[in-house]
Amino acid sequence: MKKVFYYFFLFILFSCADEQNFDQFDDLSVVPTLATGIFYFESPEDVINQLPPGNFYNQTFTFEAFNEAFVSERVLDGTITYQLENTTSKELSLLVEFIDAADTVLDSESFTIQPQPAPSLERQIAYGNGDRSLDILRNTTRIRVTSENLGDNTSQSTVNEPRIILRSSAVFRIRLQ
Amino acid sequence: MRKIRLVFFTILLSMGFLSAQNKQLLYDFYEIPQSLLLNPGVKTPYKWHAGIPLISGIAVQAGTSGITVNDLFANDGLNFTDKVRDKVVNGLSQRDEFGASVQIDILNVGFRNANRPEDYYSFGMYGELSVTQYWPKDLAILAFEGNANNLNRRFSLSHLTTHGEALNVFHFGVNRKVNNKLSLGIRGKIYSSIFEAKSNSNKGYFVTTPGENNILRNTLVADVSLKTSGFQEIIDNDDSNQDIAGLLLGRAFFGGNLGLGFDVGFTHQLNKQTFLTGSLLDVGFIYHSKDVKNFTLEGTASNEGIEIILPESFDDLNSDIWQDLVDDIEAQVPFETNTDAYVSLRPIKLNASIRYNFGEQKQKTEDCYCGTNTDLSDNPFDYKNALGGHLYVINRPKGPQAALTAFYQTRIGKALALKGTYTVDKFTFSNIGLGLNFQAGPVNFYVLGDNLLGYRNIPDSHYASLQFGFNIISWNSN
Repeated sequence: MKKVFYYFFLFILFSCADEQNFDQFDDLSVVPTLATGIFYFESPEDVINQLPPGNFYNQTFTFEAFNEAFVSERVLDGTITYQLENTTSKELSLLVEFIDAADTVLDSESFTIQPQPAPSLERQIAYGNGDRSLDILRNTTRIRVTSENLGDNTSQSTVNEPRIILRSSAVFRIRLQ
Repeated sequence: MRKIRLVFFTILLSMGFLSAQNKQLLYDFYEIPQSLLLNPGVKTPYKWHAGIPLISGIAVQAGTSGITVNDLFANDGLNFTDKVRDKVVNGLSQRDEFGASVQIDILNVGFRNANRPEDYYSFGMYGELSVTQYWPKDLAILAFEGNANNLNRRFSLSHLTTHGEALNVFHFGVNRKVNNKLSLGIRGKIYSSIFEAKSNSNKGYFVTTPGENNILRNTLVADVSLKTSGFQEIIDNDDSNQDIAGLLLGRAFFGGNLGLGFDVGFTHQLNKQTFLTGSLLDVGFIYHSKDVKNFTLEGTASNEGIEIILPESFDDLNSDIWQDLVDDIEAQVPFETNTDAYVSLRPIKLNASIRYNFGEQKQKTEDCYCGTNTDLSDNPFDYKNALGGHLYVINRPKGPQAALTAFYQTRIGKALALKGTYTVDKFTFSNIGLGLNFQAGPVNFYVLGDNLLGYRNIPDSHYASLQFGFNIISWNSN
């Protein structure tokens, strides 16, 4: 009987374990790349024609997606993509401004696009990693969109449903761990 | 806050392991009175037994499927993030699980009815803590990679399945020897839940697609819930001086959410040497109505960002379109809490075994499944050696899981019985277990260890299980 116990405890005693290093957990890097639409602007040409040439739309709206603590504290870098399409008969400009809580314009992006048949315009603006400062995104609480008609308000494009469209999206990396 | 951390730390620690709750070594090892808890119809060669309180039966099981501690934390010089990506995020499936369970036999007593010796009564209580976490594969990929490079991929919310609970079980069982070839048993149970958290049967997905208007569209379709009981009071009392131990103890003794259940089982002698056994355990439920807090996320929302479409948006010039967007999403997929009572079914377990006895016994025994009034004081056991097979099935959140065991039992002298097992289940094909039961006069000691090959390198083991206990037993002698 003693032998049985002896062998049993010997077995437990001599059970083995490869060397483990639990400090490796500190080296874990979890950096997902997230993507989302930011805003979409669309105006038919007939709406533009109903207003005098010049500024036909101006609005400042709250935008706190980047300002949220979860994002602002973890964002490593990001890219905002703009796509602009103009199928109207007039030259148009759009201005996108990033504004902080103190009403300071932190960054702006200006677009001017020729009348139809102007090619679509795509622009990617990088933030972080030596490009524009990430603090712009972190501190942005509002976005102002200004649209201006640089042409007349009588002409009408011959394409079906002429309009100006500005699309935007953001892709950014955040560090979860 | 300290207590919250304690609770969650305990759960997270337990997430490294898996509980299959299979006790193939103890099943039908009827020298050990705790085998009655696995089959109330097991043979009962005792006049009476009394477990030594708190140490009559301690069972700890832990394990993982798909990955081991060594896979991640071996000091192998490999990049840890690469190991996590390859072996965890991409290596595990949503059917892989982690879990642990601890069962402590607090009180276990049995006695034979003096007036009706074919009946053996047993009662007691045991506490149980268990945690099971299925690997949320899609959510892990979303967290690890993000959605930007996974356009059109639906990240399923159904992968989110988790369960954890602590409860105390009061039981009373009757084992009746119907005739020389058949024993039946039934055990009634009262469950006294201490706390529970569960999330299963979730549905829905998150997907990012090209937008209809904008560049991207994010869509969330969710039908997700987490049901909890017993946590809120602990959290609310975090900063108070209330005795949490006293609170938990009160719940363990009928002060918490209660439930009812039963076990049934039998042992049938097919012929002189062959025995068939079976049991169905934990057919029951717990009704959770106290300290309930449930969390739900249900609805459908798609979002392409803020939309300014003229001329309609001229009407919004003075409104907060960002807040409107946030409010819309929250209205479409509301995250809500409620205190609705709910019922939790116990995880039903099925055991079945066949045992073939062989070898000559040194002591005189009857050639049948002997009566309790037969003098068996020298040897109340029906085998010298036994071979057999055991099937175990447990109902899990993602469907039944089965384990198949081949076993060999032998008795060495009057005092020692050994049982060896080889078990195949979803976690390992190399589970070799060894059980030892030692009887020194009235004192009974047993120790049962599972997956012994895993001890060659414990961190590389998928599964480990250990049970041991002490009892005082008086064998049939009248």
